Amino acid sequence: MTVRRVIQIATIGGALLCGAVAVAQTPATSTKKPMTPPKAAKVSADKLPSAPQVVTIIHRLNGLKMFRLLLRSEQQVQAIENVDSAFNLMDDVHTNVTAGLAMNDGETIAAWLPEAEVELDAPLPPAPPSPRAPKPPRTPVAAFPRLQNGFFQPDITVIGPEGQRVGAKYIGFDAVTGLSILRLEQKNATTASAIKEEPVNAGDTVLLFSPEPVTKARAMAGAGVYARMGALEGRVQNIVAAPSGGVARFKVAAAKLSHANIGGVALNEAGETIGIVDGLEGNEASILPVALIKRAAQRVLEQQSSVPRPWLGVKGEAVAELKLDQILNQGWEMQRAAALADERRGIMLTSIAPNSPAAMAALRAGDVILKVDDKDIRTADDFTWWLEQAGPRSSVEFTVARPDRLAEEPVNVKLSEKLDRSFTFTFDNRVATTRGSSLLGQGIETVALRPPVASQLGTTAGLLVVYVEPQTPASEAGLQAGDVIQSINGKPVSTFKATTQPASFTLEIVRNKQKLVVTVPVQKKQ
Amino acid sequence: MRKNNCEVIRQELDELTLGETISVAAAEHLRECVECREFNEKQTRLRQIVGSLGTVSAPPDFDFRLRARLANGANGAAFHFWPLARRGLAFVVVLLVFVVGAIVVRNVFRRPVQNPQLATEQHNTEPAPQPVPAVEQRQQQNPAPEIVATSSDKHPQTFKGERPLRIKRPLVAEDFSNERAEVIDGREPSGAFEVLPLDSSLQSFKVSLDDGRGNARTISVPTISFGSQRMLQTANQYASKRDW
Repeated sequence: MTVRRVIQIATIGGALLCGAVAVAQTPATSTKKPMTPPKAAKVSADKLPSAPQVVTIIHRLNGLKMFRLLLRSEQQVQAIENVDSAFNLMDDVHTNVTAGLAMNDGETIAAWLPEAEVELDAPLPPAPPSPRAPKPPRTPVAAFPRLQNGFFQPDITVIGPEGQRVGAKYIGFDAVTGLSILRLEQKNATTASAIKEEPVNAGDTVLLFSPEPVTKARAMAGAGVYARMGALEGRVQNIVAAPSGGVARFKVAAAKLSHANIGGVALNEAGETIGIVDGLEGNEASILPVALIKRAAQRVLEQQSSVPRPWLGVKGEAVAELKLDQILNQGWEMQRAAALADERRGIMLTSIAPNSPAAMAALRAGDVILKVDDKDIRTADDFTWWLEQAGPRSSVEFTVARPDRLAEEPVNVKLSEKLDRSFTFTFDNRVATTRGSSLLGQGIETVALRPPVASQLGTTAGLLVVYVEPQTPASEAGLQAGDVIQSINGKPVSTFKATTQPASFTLEIVRNKQKLVVTVPVQKKQ
Repeated sequence: MRKNNCEVIRQELDELTLGETISVAAAEHLRECVECREFNEKQTRLRQIVGSLGTVSAPPDFDFRLRARLANGANGAAFHFWPLARRGLAFVVVLLVFVVGAIVVRNVFRRPVQNPQLATEQHNTEPAPQPVPAVEQRQQQNPAPEIVATSSDKHPQTFKGERPLRIKRPLVAEDFSNERAEVIDGREPSGAFEVLPLDSSLQSFKVSLDDGRGNARTISVPTISFGSQRMLQTANQYASKRDW
């Protein structure tokens, strides 16, 4: 009897336990407030169109390149006082993840790399010997232990939509558009898709693809950073027509835009490429259209190197944007200033860079450039467009109105070139000591190291070489980025002053904790 | 009416004891009602019979035996209740097992991720962690804090100053219908982009600079950034449209 009851109780208990398991796994009706619905601008992964032309680009920077970037930034850097105890010049210290556009040929990638400056003029690996035109081998100018080749090369990996990873070479930077052009080490590693110049109309829906961190991935293999291509939905707000026809830019409004979206690839609803995001203005993304992307890629591929933009050396503002008193402040008489304001045409120059093409052509602040090669200028975009169409090192004719002359004057200017997109990035802009300036003229970029930092690199205080311009006497002499200059012409760098231009620089350097001497013939300024 | 009288009279007759006289009203009713008269005669005879019985004296231990019997009766009642009590006890035990089982199963199925970093990220619904500008100025003559971002040490997405890990007590059910399915094996459902594991830099970049004007400052750079989340402002991104 007792046994039977025990069995009965056990049976009932087991049944109840099974019920408990079922109840525990069954989602109960939650009394919780439903989670916030996804942002309207965020596109669900399921709704994303197939976009094999959109790739993810991983750009890594080591410690030395970070110093280079620091020097080339707008930071005022005279010396490095301290670094982390674990810091190593060779180790990666930063990784940038951005989107890229695979072009039609299956090996070219156009991307807006935010740290492209650090790779400008980076020496490309030597080309394989060609039987047709064998190049004479260079005379070894220095039997020094050279740093690893990869130490200087751009560390760029392209990841296709299906996760395939391919190395990429940095071909060049297009200063007109700000795009970097890469070439995959393995052709057809990504799916080539036709990049058509699809028409864009105001009101069209646009998907802005850019990689984003995956915040909810439960990594089974431990900690790590995960990314996935995401998309924001936006609408074309307005289209900026190019003065010569076609589209110069178009603006897309989308919620939750951030700098993480710059460099993103813009697709229409059909999954066709329509541009790359190259800037943000409030809630609007500025899109570089496909036609200009193609031209940028073509420019860089033709030269197989970075392509500078034309440089005039002026700052200014469209007259249409100025108030009357601003025109008057530039030396214009009231009557002529009023007429100028009414006409709303031209670019009022506000400053001229010394030794620039504009200065050489005697352009002055207050001058108004009305035409470029007989093309009327009404907006800043017009002026930019026509200068870019002219190209660097080209000659253009401006029609200029001046405050002290009644008649308009033609002014011929031979444009120069700059590799950056901005007025601000110049060697002269940086704080450089006398010794630094001297070396800068030789294509050597350096930053001073204070003793605590220098000791970490196995040396005493000195100048860390962060960049040596290729094909310069310094490069030919064997000077490398990563070297630490301890003395110049026998004097410690802390006391060296170039009062006169020496015939050569004898540099005592430390490389891999080994002392070496490099003699660099002085390069005459061109 | 008469029937009602019969009932009242018969109740009175029933309550009479031997030798007790009836009321006047009852006597008058008995004269008129044959049926009640017969009832009265039966009751009278019954009382006479009972009254004719002799008295019986109780045994001396009657009181003790009566109490003992009452006590036994109580014990007997408890004995009969025992099976029910045992079932109740069993029910309580099973219920206890049920509750414990439910708790254990729920904890097993809804255990939170043990990785602190990812667990922290789980509560972060923003698409991209924005590097927070931070420049440690030792002297404030030349501040430029807006162009430098913070470091994130070895784990770039666990930012300093972020709230410590809060392991939220898991709920039995939460509505995730508005969200993407969680990626548990590093792969997305078909038709979408892959989730890519990234080998972010392990070494952070944190340097103290001398700007040549007597100002010293510390710059930290995050180990990873997305898009043009700039760590250092350079010309590429912020090119002015008014410079030619």
